[in-house]
Amino acid sequence: MEKFGRRALRMGAAGLVAALAITGCSGKDLEGGNTDSGNAQVTLKINFWGDMGLDQLKAKYEAANPNVKISLNTGEYQAQHQDLQKKLVAGSGAPDISAVDEGFIVQFREQADQFVNLNDKGAGALESKYLPWKWQASKSAAGAQIGLGTDVGGLAMCYRTDLFKAAGLPTDRAEVSKLWPTWDAFLETGKTYTDKTKKKFIDSATNLFNPILSQQPVGFYNEQEQLQMEGGPKVGFDVAMKALDSGISANLASFQPNWDQGFKQDQFAVLACPAWMLGHIQKTAPDQAGKWDIAAIPGGGGNWGGSWWTIPKQGKNVDEAYKFVEWLIQPEQQIEVFKTVGNLPSQPALYKDPAVLDYKKEFFTNAPTGQIFASTAENLKPQYLGKKNGPTRLAVENVINRVGQGTLKSADAWAEAVKEAEKAANS
Amino acid sequence: MALTDVRHARTEEPRHAPPKRQRFWLHRFDTKTFPYLMIAPFFLLFAVFGLFPLIFNAVVSLRHWHLIDKEKNGWVGLDNFTKLASDTDFWDALVNTFGIFVLSTVPQLLLALMIANLLNRKLRGATFWRIGILLPYVTPVAASSLVFAVFFSRDNGLANWFLSLVGFGQEQPLDWRAGTWSSWIAIAVMVNWKWIGYNALLYLSAMQAIPKDVYEAAAVDGAGPWRQLWQITVPMIQPVVLFTVILSTIGGLQLFTEPMLFDENPAQANGGYDHQWRTIAQLIYRVGWSDLNLGYAAAMSWALFLIILVVAGINALVTRRLGGGK
Repeated sequence: MEKFGRRALRMGAAGLVAALAITGCSGKDLEGGNTDSGNAQVTLKINFWGDMGLDQLKAKYEAANPNVKISLNTGEYQAQHQDLQKKLVAGSGAPDISAVDEGFIVQFREQADQFVNLNDKGAGALESKYLPWKWQASKSAAGAQIGLGTDVGGLAMCYRTDLFKAAGLPTDRAEVSKLWPTWDAFLETGKTYTDKTKKKFIDSATNLFNPILSQQPVGFYNEQEQLQMEGGPKVGFDVAMKALDSGISANLASFQPNWDQGFKQDQFAVLACPAWMLGHIQKTAPDQAGKWDIAAIPGGGGNWGGSWWTIPKQGKNVDEAYKFVEWLIQPEQQIEVFKTVGNLPSQPALYKDPAVLDYKKEFFTNAPTGQIFASTAENLKPQYLGKKNGPTRLAVENVINRVGQGTLKSADAWAEAVKEAEKAANS
Repeated sequence: MALTDVRHARTEEPRHAPPKRQRFWLHRFDTKTFPYLMIAPFFLLFAVFGLFPLIFNAVVSLRHWHLIDKEKNGWVGLDNFTKLASDTDFWDALVNTFGIFVLSTVPQLLLALMIANLLNRKLRGATFWRIGILLPYVTPVAASSLVFAVFFSRDNGLANWFLSLVGFGQEQPLDWRAGTWSSWIAIAVMVNWKWIGYNALLYLSAMQAIPKDVYEAAAVDGAGPWRQLWQITVPMIQPVVLFTVILSTIGGLQLFTEPMLFDENPAQANGGYDHQWRTIAQLIYRVGWSDLNLGYAAAMSWALFLIILVVAGINALVTRRLGGGK
């Protein structure tokens, strides 16, 4: 017995020594960040995905502010959001500034205590510049503003002029827009196309469901956080089912390798596209320049995606970070981003700016992208996004995809979708 | 076991003739304390990365910790576990995990045994073959899973091309991800591919320790190669078999990367649109980082830990019986 006691004591001592050794090297501050925001050197780490057009802006800002160094850290869309979430839970390691997309803004808005309330830094004065719904979407229930909007998606319908021509459909963007004033007319066009060419018309049924849902006055949840499946979701779901039953969908999962391959192999002829999608199409199928054009989306306006710049509270340089974000969303910088990557600003005053108004995209048969997307974003009826919007959307998309895979009958799908959505609402 | 006990013991200890005090201390430090110092880093790392998460998880599993539904956050006792008992998602995931586990572990260990048996003969370029079978093990699992995800794709996959060679799937290509069995098989193939070589090498090293004369005696008695394998080799490498069974049980029940990357959109942690191949580890990830219900995810982790303990125990018992042990 006593022998064990001594052994335990010795082992404890040994462990203590080793523990001291380890903590000894971990030091205090590895990042070189400074707490005082005087003229000391400051490095701002910025996380985002894809290309947000920051490369030239970084150089410009660093030249004007020699004490600030900006470190751009791009990554994969979902991974960046999940990484931010993990760092918030861990309490350290988050970037100084993080982009947050519409698909995740609700999740982070609900954790507003983890972010700097930008109203405290004087962002309130900027409210009048923004589309009202854009300003509201990043505001917590208690009124804290966690992000300043960068871009909005707007919504239009991109289509392949060469494939339309081969199917005997019109190719001019005004005439194509007239083909589909409603979603039913859109489905009819799809059937005509598929009958004629034996090829699929749309990329996936979920990419019909989501834009249609965004056009509805009420989405998955009303403002009392009650699930409203029989309203907006049912409208979008029915169209998605009709599309699957008529066999016009290629059933490709968005942003995945097969989808990218689908572009190159002409597996679909139309794609619901927000402004930021243009860059993706251009990058995925560079040899299709001049073969794409942009028409109006059936059913009027809508929005898909768009981001905010947020400042996690755990950062050491929140003042410098805010200064940079405020500079980023000034008209001059927003227009530069629009020109380099195509992201549409979220400040309506800029839609009147000639730089946006007269802009034509060569890749898309010189479509006036500024005009097209600005009008859909401006005319949008704002929709409340519930707390569980993300998981609910995923659950319903899964059901649509099961019908696409042929493992669930479209007649049984709605009941299943309601069941899964309820489960997600209670998760 | 108070401190007084320790002091009491010290006065008693030196029985032999006492050497010089200093040297005595050095000697004692070298033989008694130093070994513990040497192994301390492992236990320290284990405490930080093994024991602490385990205990912290247990604490979290007794709380409601939801990042969005924050109103109810706080201690809830065993509520998470009672919810778990009636959660069909959890039991479905458990069935999937076991299904894939059986499909991967059984062929994996049998094939490893066969391959080890083949490699145990006199071969030309023996080192080449032995290194060769280990290559899949060296390949990072994320890289190989991504390649397999393309291999099993519906439209342009190599697997479907092979099937078409034997006249299968002419009018409608097989959608590996749509069916339950096809997806299980695809994932089991990934696991098997990676681990067969590793297990074969373990078996081989054990086989080489078996004295040759045992085989010679058996051959004289008229035992063929098949009988030699099952009645001499397997019983004599039984400890290693036991080790591989337990190791692949733990690995199989924690299966995560392969099913994760098999999804068309891995970040959603769906495990199929009907969750037909979602494993428990995947479900934990989904509940924690997508539904943001951290307390419930922690309860699931602990349940998985207990399940693994039980299953590994049963497997060890069965293997020992089958191998002819006591």
